[in-house]
Amino acid sequence: MVTGASALLTSEQIEARIWEALQEVPDPEIPAVSVIEMGMIGGVHVDGGRARVVLLPTFTGCPAIAMIEEDVRRAVTGVAGVAAVEVETSFDPPWTSDRISAAGREKLRDFGLAPPDAAPVLITQIGLPVVATCPFCGSSDTVSDSLFGPTPCRATYYCSACRNPFEQFKQV
Amino acid sequence: MSDSFDALVTALADDELIIGHRHSEWTGYAPHIEEDVAFASIAQDEIGHASSLYSLVGGGSGPQVDALALGRQPEAYRNAVLCERPNRDWAFTLARHWLYDHADDIRLEALEQTSDSKLQQLVTKIRREERYHLLHADYWMKRVAQGPVDARSKIIPAMSAAFAEAGGLFEPFEQEDQALDEGWLPLPSSVLLARFMNWATSALDELGLPGGSEAEAVIPAEFVASSSGDLIAGEDAPVEEPVLPAGVGGRRGRHTSDLAGMWAEMTTQYRENEGARW
Repeated sequence: MVTGASALLTSEQIEARIWEALQEVPDPEIPAVSVIEMGMIGGVHVDGGRARVVLLPTFTGCPAIAMIEEDVRRAVTGVAGVAAVEVETSFDPPWTSDRISAAGREKLRDFGLAPPDAAPVLITQIGLPVVATCPFCGSSDTVSDSLFGPTPCRATYYCSACRNPFEQFKQV
Repeated sequence: MSDSFDALVTALADDELIIGHRHSEWTGYAPHIEEDVAFASIAQDEIGHASSLYSLVGGGSGPQVDALALGRQPEAYRNAVLCERPNRDWAFTLARHWLYDHADDIRLEALEQTSDSKLQQLVTKIRREERYHLLHADYWMKRVAQGPVDARSKIIPAMSAAFAEAGGLFEPFEQEDQALDEGWLPLPSSVLLARFMNWATSALDELGLPGGSEAEAVIPAEFVASSSGDLIAGEDAPVEEPVLPAGVGGRRGRHTSDLAGMWAEMTTQYRENEGARW
């Protein structure tokens, strides 16, 4: 019986299972990457059967936030030992693009999006020209086309080598 | 938090919502595809900021975001008049975008020192996103100011018109004195206005654009009015009040007919489909 088994789980065990469940929750606009790899999970707290997940929005205007909240709630509700789920949206700390994990950056590239730098970006460096590597051919011979793209988190570039336009996940 | 907190956050959110809506009107019509995308994206950012700010009203347990954004009458909005002005043309759009985002940066920089932790965290996040708007506005302004004769001949009157009303962004908001007494608001609007005017004067100089002499003439003397001042809001107020300097009144709910027109369109779905979620 699931209920019988879950009664024996410690908070640490439940927490570990919640992280596993969250690994299966994708960013709806970039389904190749999980919310964990995107660095959107600010924390998981378990107290008895009550779970609280802190969600850090990538961009405040991202229309996917409500959907992600719902997906996280659904995934955590299904974890053995969890009786109640609270998903809290927070800006503490503010989500920054260096929160994307190495695996996440790799998956972004495979998805066709140039990943942002792995290093933290000072506010004064945000939006300044960066050498974006073409996710299609790997060339660094690229030029910025626009600071903006089809979603708030994307900028547009052009690859002079393979002559493809491509998008970069913005550094922020 | 207090009533003064709700008043300030609502005014900030209203600015972001209203200018965001105006920016969104370029979708499908901008001079070229990159700018269509840029203004749609900037609009989405601003409306997202408005949404996050509205969610802080009433300590997070206040009216829902949609009710604040779309469920109020035009006179209940506290945005600055400059934000509600129609886009007119590309030159006016760029001039307003540049003035607004720099003014916004000046007030957010100050507000990042607030003692309210939720507001402080949100402002920190918003400022990082706003960097893209500043770079975009600066890039365009440099380009048109230095550009061929045609660009300069269009940006000069557009900047003059926008700058004449930009001081209204720093009209003291309701209960500002109370906010300063309570201690969570770091600086009064009058200090921010002075910072803005200093910035604008040297930035316009650098661009080789005239410094908007009309605006300098009307703003400083009129702008020290306290939050309990005599700018009366309400339906009975005559449409043309000669005492108000250009661009002032929005923080008291004194708007131009430009807001009523865009409000009708902006709130159509909300009013016609009560309780709809999207």
